[in-house]
Amino acid sequence: MHESGAGIAETSLLRWIVLLPLLGAVWNGFLGKRIQRRFGERPIAAVGCLAVAASFLIALRAVLALPPGGAAVDRIYTWFGAGDLHVPFALLLDPLSSVMALVVTGVSALIHLYSIGYMRGDRGFYRYFSFLNLFVFAMLLLVLGDNILLLFVGWEGVGLCSYLLIGFWFADREKAAAGMKAFLVNRIGDLGFIVGILALWWSLAKHGLFSLDFRAMAEGIHLLQGDTILGVPALAFIGIALFVGAAGKSAQIPLYVWLPDAMAGPTPVSALIHAATMVTAGVYMIARMSFLYSLAPQALAVVAAIGAATALFAATIGFAQTDIKKVLAYSTVSQLGTMMLGVGVGAYAAGIFHLMTHAFFKACLFLSAGSVIHALGGEQDLRKMGGLRKKMPVTFLAMFLSTLAIAGIPGFSGFFSKDEILWNAYAGPHGHWALWLAGVLGAGMTAFYMFRLLFLAFFGTCRADEETMRHLHESPRVMTVPLIALAVLSVAGGWVGIPKALGGGNHFHYYLEPAVAAHEAHGSHALELVLIAVSVLLALSGIALAYHFYMKKPDLPARLTARARGLHRLVENKYYVDEIYGATAVRGVLILSRALRVFDDYVIDGIVNLTGWIARIVALISGWFDLVFVDGLVNALANGTIDLGRRARRLQTGAVQTYVLAVFGGILALIALYLGLGGRA
Amino acid sequence: MNGTVLGNVESIRYFLPEIVLVGTILAVIAFELLAGRGRAPEPPTAIGRRSPVCDGTLAIGLLGVAGSLAALLSLGYEGPLLLFEGAIAWDPFSIFFRWFFLAVAAAVLLIAHPYRPLVCLHYGEFVSLVVGTAFGMMLLASSTNLLLVYLALEMVSLPSYILAGFLRGDRKSSEAALKYAVYGAAASGAMLYGFSFLYGMTGSIHFFEMREAIASGGIPVVHLLVPIVLVLAGFGYKIAAVPFHMWAPDVYEGSATPITAFFSVGPKAAGLAVLIRFFHSVFAAGGEASLRVIGSVDWTLLLAILSAITMTLGNLAAIGQDNLKRMLAYSSIAHAGTMLMGAVVLGGSGVHAILFYLVVYAFMNLGAFLVVIAISIDKRRETIADFRGLGWRMPFLGVSMTVFLLSLTGVPPTAGFVAKFAILRALIEEEIYWLAVIGVLNTVVSLYYYARVIKAMFLDAPDPTEPALPSLSRIHLALLALFLVPTILLGFRFGVLDAIAAASRFLVVGS
Amino acid sequence: MNRLESYLLISSILAALGVVTIASRRNAVAILMGIELLLNAAALNFVAFGRFVKNAAGTHPLDGQIFAIFIIVLAAAEAVILLAVIIAIYRQVESIDADRLRELKG
Repeated sequence: MHESGAGIAETSLLRWIVLLPLLGAVWNGFLGKRIQRRFGERPIAAVGCLAVAASFLIALRAVLALPPGGAAVDRIYTWFGAGDLHVPFALLLDPLSSVMALVVTGVSALIHLYSIGYMRGDRGFYRYFSFLNLFVFAMLLLVLGDNILLLFVGWEGVGLCSYLLIGFWFADREKAAAGMKAFLVNRIGDLGFIVGILALWWSLAKHGLFSLDFRAMAEGIHLLQGDTILGVPALAFIGIALFVGAAGKSAQIPLYVWLPDAMAGPTPVSALIHAATMVTAGVYMIARMSFLYSLAPQALAVVAAIGAATALFAATIGFAQTDIKKVLAYSTVSQLGTMMLGVGVGAYAAGIFHLMTHAFFKACLFLSAGSVIHALGGEQDLRKMGGLRKKMPVTFLAMFLSTLAIAGIPGFSGFFSKDEILWNAYAGPHGHWALWLAGVLGAGMTAFYMFRLLFLAFFGTCRADEETMRHLHESPRVMTVPLIALAVLSVAGGWVGIPKALGGGNHFHYYLEPAVAAHEAHGSHALELVLIAVSVLLALSGIALAYHFYMKKPDLPARLTARARGLHRLVENKYYVDEIYGATAVRGVLILSRALRVFDDYVIDGIVNLTGWIARIVALISGWFDLVFVDGLVNALANGTIDLGRRARRLQTGAVQTYVLAVFGGILALIALYLGLGGRA
Repeated sequence: MNGTVLGNVESIRYFLPEIVLVGTILAVIAFELLAGRGRAPEPPTAIGRRSPVCDGTLAIGLLGVAGSLAALLSLGYEGPLLLFEGAIAWDPFSIFFRWFFLAVAAAVLLIAHPYRPLVCLHYGEFVSLVVGTAFGMMLLASSTNLLLVYLALEMVSLPSYILAGFLRGDRKSSEAALKYAVYGAAASGAMLYGFSFLYGMTGSIHFFEMREAIASGGIPVVHLLVPIVLVLAGFGYKIAAVPFHMWAPDVYEGSATPITAFFSVGPKAAGLAVLIRFFHSVFAAGGEASLRVIGSVDWTLLLAILSAITMTLGNLAAIGQDNLKRMLAYSSIAHAGTMLMGAVVLGGSGVHAILFYLVVYAFMNLGAFLVVIAISIDKRRETIADFRGLGWRMPFLGVSMTVFLLSLTGVPPTAGFVAKFAILRALIEEEIYWLAVIGVLNTVVSLYYYARVIKAMFLDAPDPTEPALPSLSRIHLALLALFLVPTILLGFRFGVLDAIAAASRFLVVGS
Repeated sequence: MNRLESYLLISSILAALGVVTIASRRNAVAILMGIELLLNAAALNFVAFGRFVKNAAGTHPLDGQIFAIFIIVLAAAEAVILLAVIIAIYRQVESIDADRLRELKG
């Protein structure tokens, strides 16, 4: 638990972290069109990137100026004071928001840089950068706000920007529809969020606490133990209601359906918003409200269960995808599930740790994918890729490193964060072996399909057409430099959190300790090492399986053809003696090799194929389930509402006599309804 | 609170704002008659041309409204009074509404000025009808006996019927007038019938005497229930609450758009005002801190039912609408339902929330209608198809409309969100959860049809064969800014409005 | 007719007749007649109650009668406006059939 009043400094520096991106957005938004027409893209890009970069530097300075375990607050002004509620517009920089702010500004600065190359030549260049800056502004408001209402303003803001950016190429109907889908599904989640905020306010007000800022709430939250709302423990009710909002924003079951569709937007947008920042808002919110969740074990159980289920479910879908961005999308959903699992078992610092490392490697993965798509002139189908390793070495290296990170290979960033979560899932105070099992299986599957992606795209022969292959080239430096930076972070980013079991000091955990609820997993280092070994083993077998499945098979036909040709020539030259010799020895060798091949094909490959086949069926079923039930439910709800609306409209017949009759009919109905409901004074 | 009763002569001083309005009506009619001497009468289908007579008429109208405002300002407020031997209330509640209706009247007069279908077509009558309706509304918000309520209600309704049919050459407008008049007469007939029973059971038509009779007990449920529901038919009709709303979509769609804008804000607020005053004065007692229902009927339950079905039907029916005026009609029905939620709460916080909401609602609704009017100056452009691409062709209009629509939905950080939040908070403090849930669910539904317009404005390409849109007149530009600024600003800095609403929630309830 | 209930019965019949007339007639003028019936039923109620009900002070107040007179005035005003609307409609569509006017619906 964080201490109250420990070293809280007042500063006016924080507001600039938030304001600079806003100014950039306004500048590019209003003047961008004219500037782009007269001066080209460069001034737009400069303003956009500098705004975020400067924001990052100021954030860095502010963070470094913090005393250990302390925090800084920037009170800008009093937003509103209605009745007993006083909400100042203030920003809080504590260990938790420091991490988030640095990750957000840092990663987005790199993505802004990358976008200069990716969006070159697009007519909406200025609009893109304006929206992107606006998004950063809203996201910073979300993570730096010192009260839950300000968080919610940022929450809505990132939702709006996400909608604007997903539907960026609005001329394409499908892309625009994807944006709308994102906004609407988020709105459903926000419904729960609002209910949570209202319930929270009301419960606190009952005990005389009239503040919604996090520090004050943390001190007073224990008063709510024992309260109930509608028969349910108040803290659990609030926790679950807030989690509904988090489920919408962070794409958990059943509100994840928007995320794969959101890939319609430009790839850097997918990298920033749907991998590194916006979708993590839900996880951040739960960590920020850890003081509440640690007193509501039922809510935590829900979070953990859904997180684990999502992690597993989404991973199975990833098997059958052929679009490179969709694979990454489902992998993001799965990783978010892992983060939710982390905070759901009370390991808040671990969840945030994975949030950070995921930001690095997922952004790197998306940007690499973007690089590939860009180089192939817009192709996103894995079946039309292949062999890109030689033509795009830097991209390949970046993708390779970040794939290793996401697969959880020891030494890379993803490994440390994922295993911290899995360790707590098993041995933490809220942990359960079933949660651990789901998590570790999901991790294994992640390794498999991520390497499948790598192999299909970068290895083997190129399956693209002539025209595309001629244009294939590595991306310009403005795109590859951020790639390299993120790849380095994917490798080294985890080193701040090396667990004690492996000889590290777990600095990340201790850094975050003053800001989130305490959690300590109970178990020996040996047990932790065993669990680590299990998950690494699963990861390696996943990689091996992918290798076999996608690398071995294409070689076979080519080998066979070469052997047959040589044999034919040999027989032709050495007629009599060789013929007898050939009829016996060579043919024997052939028969043997064929037998071996048969054995290889049917028995060994059979086993391998069976496992693969099972996985694909599962993936297909999951996909079907996703489409029919989850998408179906959402669509049915929407269609049902529209249908109800149509019926409601038919009541207006257009004949005034009917209307008048309805007046008196309504009067009678109201009387009956009132008496029927047993109304009394 | 209790007010001092004033005699007829002393009350005239406090009635000055209304008297100024009546004088304005006479002045406008006189001016038009005299200044238009010798001109041939206009045929019904003429699209008018601006003339000095028209401008003069408008000037007189605006001067009158300004004069009335000045009179109101000069009167100040020293304490609650009951004017004209107890017939008209002078309390913060009624003063709030006087300001409100005068502002709305002035706004409507200005909005209508550049609107060519209306201009110079019996313009003096238009101005005097609007001013007359304003007078009726002010009276309605301050009446404290049944007769005056009926008179004031008709004073609001009758000019409205004429205003609805003002475009005499337009079939839709005439149809709207017929429906409005027939429906309104029937609804107010029902209300009158209810009044008669209340008079019969309490022996008086004065609110406070009626309350005494009810409080002394003995009136069975059905004897009170039937008249109350009949009265609700009348008030509900004015507010356009379900099931007394059926006139609204047709009348809103058929009337000239500036008049529709007027209907959506003015008479609706007046209906709410009289509903609150009626129920709080006749069927509630106990003073500020401990207001409770008296009599054997729990009218808060009736209002809650009304509110729930109004919001739901309003939002659902708005979903498929292509005509923006019709959609905004259903939207204003839904908003009326939201405001009724506040009336369910007995404590002052409910009325406080309603007053706050009304001001915010006035800004955002008038703003939305203003955008429709601004592009319909020369030709009817009121369907969603007409809005395609508006965001890029006329960005200021597009952005403003987006802000207004987002505020109508209740998305933070617009004023609409704060207003809705206030009402929901009042409900939750009284532990009426089911209604709050319905309210929030309806917000989600409402997003769909508002977002359709935003999508059309920004994500659809306009019809290339369409002629150019009319340019924004200066008056409209100024008014748009005037409505836009509070819609955004009140999302953050609503302390002032909040204080005004809090101070205005007090009603005179006795002498 | 010395009992309150008799008058109330008559006025409720009148009111019902009025509602039925409004709801079932196509001719706009007939609808207006229905409206008048409804309003006058209420007026009759007021007069009846004024005659039979004592108020708190024990006297029969004149409020009921006065109310009835105002109702007559306002019914007249409403009729004027409705007739003006009907005339305007007739000029446009050459008919006063309310069923013909159903352009606005949905």
